[in-house]
Amino acid sequence: MTEFLQSTIYGLLQGGLLALVAVGFSLVWGVMNVVNLAHGTFVVLGAYVAWQLNKSAGVDPFLGMFAAAACLFVAGYAVHMLLINQVIKAPIWMTLLLTFGLELVLINAMVLVFSGDFRSINTGWAGDAIALGDVRIPYGRLAGFLVAVGLTLALVLFMSRTRLGLAIKATGMDRDAARLMGIPARRVYATTFAIAAAMAGAAGAIVGTVGTFSPASAPAFTLQSFVIAVLGGLGNMWGALAGGLVLGLVQSWGGQYLSGTLVNALAFGVLVAVLIVRPAGLIGKPYYEARVET
Amino acid sequence: MSAPALEIRGLSRRFGGLEALSEVSLSVEPGTVLGIIGPNGAGKSTLINLVTGHLKPSSGSVCVDGRDVTGQRPWVIARAGVARTFQIVKPFRELTVRDNVAIGAMYGPDGAGSVKDARRRADEVLERVGLEGRGEVPPGELSVADARRLELAKALALGPRLLLLDEVMAGLRGSEIEPALDLIRSLRDEGMTIVAVEHIVKVILSVSDEVLVLHEGRELTRGKPADVVKDERVIEAYLGQRYAKRMAEGNGDA
Amino acid sequence: MATDPQAGKPASAEGPGEARRLGFLSGRAGWAATAVALLFFIALPAQLYGSQQRTLAAAFMFVALAQGWNLIGGFAGYPSFGNVVFFGLGGYTTAILMAKAGASFYVALPAAALVGLGFALLMGVPVLRLRGHYFAIATLGVAEGVREVVLNLDGLTGGGSGLTVPAVGIEATTSYPGNAGFYYMFLALAVLATAVVLWVSRSRFGYGLRAIAQDEDAAAAMGIDTTRAKIGAFALAGVITSLAGAMYAFQQVTIYPARLFDVQFTLLMVVMAVIGGSGTVVGPVLGALGLTFLSEYLRNNLTDYHTLVFGLIIVVAVILLPQGLVRFVREGWRTRRFSLLDNVRAYRL
Repeated sequence: MTEFLQSTIYGLLQGGLLALVAVGFSLVWGVMNVVNLAHGTFVVLGAYVAWQLNKSAGVDPFLGMFAAAACLFVAGYAVHMLLINQVIKAPIWMTLLLTFGLELVLINAMVLVFSGDFRSINTGWAGDAIALGDVRIPYGRLAGFLVAVGLTLALVLFMSRTRLGLAIKATGMDRDAARLMGIPARRVYATTFAIAAAMAGAAGAIVGTVGTFSPASAPAFTLQSFVIAVLGGLGNMWGALAGGLVLGLVQSWGGQYLSGTLVNALAFGVLVAVLIVRPAGLIGKPYYEARVET
Repeated sequence: MSAPALEIRGLSRRFGGLEALSEVSLSVEPGTVLGIIGPNGAGKSTLINLVTGHLKPSSGSVCVDGRDVTGQRPWVIARAGVARTFQIVKPFRELTVRDNVAIGAMYGPDGAGSVKDARRRADEVLERVGLEGRGEVPPGELSVADARRLELAKALALGPRLLLLDEVMAGLRGSEIEPALDLIRSLRDEGMTIVAVEHIVKVILSVSDEVLVLHEGRELTRGKPADVVKDERVIEAYLGQRYAKRMAEGNGDA
Repeated sequence: MATDPQAGKPASAEGPGEARRLGFLSGRAGWAATAVALLFFIALPAQLYGSQQRTLAAAFMFVALAQGWNLIGGFAGYPSFGNVVFFGLGGYTTAILMAKAGASFYVALPAAALVGLGFALLMGVPVLRLRGHYFAIATLGVAEGVREVVLNLDGLTGGGSGLTVPAVGIEATTSYPGNAGFYYMFLALAVLATAVVLWVSRSRFGYGLRAIAQDEDAAAAMGIDTTRAKIGAFALAGVITSLAGAMYAFQQVTIYPARLFDVQFTLLMVVMAVIGGSGTVVGPVLGALGLTFLSEYLRNNLTDYHTLVFGLIIVVAVILLPQGLVRFVREGWRTRRFSLLDNVRAYRL
């Protein structure tokens, strides 16, 4: 019983973090119809920023997280303006190819600069844990979970309460109509992409604290973001949160009771089944196709 | 006594809580033109989509030439001799005008054996609708009137017995409407059955043998064009008092 | 509605009748050029080292893979991101039949094709109902899922430790073709795949696919059985891809799920088809040959940076040549104006 409880807790904690990893990816896909295969590299880059700050200046990663988010925000804005925007009106799989190339470039650049070794960010306190009976809840993971959920909620509030958030949603629904109403679509897109990158970067800082990372970890983050985005419905922030928790639990329970890779097969099977039966995701609205672009 | 070209019984379609079309029944005799009018949202396009198989009915039945085609896929219905135009034209943008029409010749009920034969037939159709010589043009370069002609040509290439026109005159100038009306009349005279959804009342009056008025998904009334246009309920729901006055004063232009 | 000027132009160049399909290399000139190229490739291996023969064999394999993708992604407009599933299934079918059932490669090969066909039909029916990116993701999911299943059925497939085809010594069921042998085998497959695409492009079937890609609702309204057409294209792609996988497995001798179902194959075949020109006959050939040689050149001359530079080239090529090389050249020839900047302006905001 304790094992089940332990793996459930781990699954939820990891799930919250996965939600933060995926929420930007889902946002970009839902609003801009761009599938960013380089998303995982943003996560890893964020981890490296926090790691470097920790190594050179002893900055705690939960503070370094802000720096990571800021750096990735700027980087994301630049990547959109210089690269993604050039093919934004092309069929969707053009951006897939573009971001595939970008992913190759970024991963290899990271290997050249940081080497391919696995790293992690050591803090004094992350390993300590609260004990609830026989169940351990490490501080690092708990803090990571709380921050992740907090940031995701902040994003939800931002999207629904601020002018920029509304502009993003409007542009996501009908870019041409939004432009006709005076919304600068290109800048809105760039900001959306930048926000997504920033969230990924913040997630990376936390990932680096609770586990290990290397340039090779990037594709796995992208893949998990895929699954979560589809499960939760594209562009749906709450959905990303729910999808993240579901995936975290599935991975944790699965790892407990099934052989490692069969869990992945299960995850893919669920993904394909969801797509076929309910393409809008488990939480998305069935009849309403929010995209009006040709 | 041949079967009606089109027979609809109790046709309904719901979208969630919205009844787009509700219990509509009608039958159209072969070789006649049925005009359908009504305010926006009345269900006119829904009706066409249900007949052509682009939407599945929630209930009711559709029979073409006595054959039940309810709920069949669009290509089955196309091969049963039913062709349609789309309200917002849908050309194949990366094919030439000729190839657009040739597709219909290739895949219609009398499917042409080869691409070459299909192209030849396409040229004949293009001439019929007034696009002769424009075969090599990309659809994106066509004027509004020519784009409509292309849409019609694509439908005619199928060699249909029943033709459904969805607002095919919208946006045309006065000088462009008369030739289009002539074309419709000549198709009808050749035995084609035509169902035309239109907003331009002058068109409906001059070419329809019968008119059906839809309102909020239901049939409001049906009858000869001249009678329908004077019907109080139709004036109330759709035509407007100003129009009725103008009609009474002898100017029937809409 | 797209407001950019490039959107309305037809992909095919001007020209009478079917010569249009081959672009400005019309009619007899095109056939002559193809014949010359073929003779060249047939005579070539005698002049090459083993490693060079292997590189060309890989290039031909990618021609076949890219053409397979071209059918479903380029012609039908359904960008599959999971074609590697056929590659892996074809490879494993071959390896299992040869290693466990003692079959000859030339018996395993058609079996692999059948498996590819069967799986395409099985997978195609549910998955081809999805549109656009949903279809892409679903195919990706299926490919990844099948890999995991293959990995876990280690009794049959050897799982993570791999499976070895008996290729040498007395246990070998078929004599190993060697570098030159595989060169010709993959060349034959590349020619076959390209011939299939050529046939499709000129046939009624091909027009149907194009119509589906450009406007599926209108295509259905014009009497095209879109379900059958899509599944047909997918099945052809499946067969070609699984044949490639079968040959690859024999060539590699020892195969692993991670390799045979590597998503890199999918991405490479898509890049090659698209940069060459998806929906054209010659495009994927140019894309596959060009990118394979480029990759080889970079690998040999820039060892540390080669993947990085390759990635950069993909990024630049996608931005500057979104419609692919073949269409760029055709349009440029037709309008007498070659401008990469026009391409960029067409798709940017």
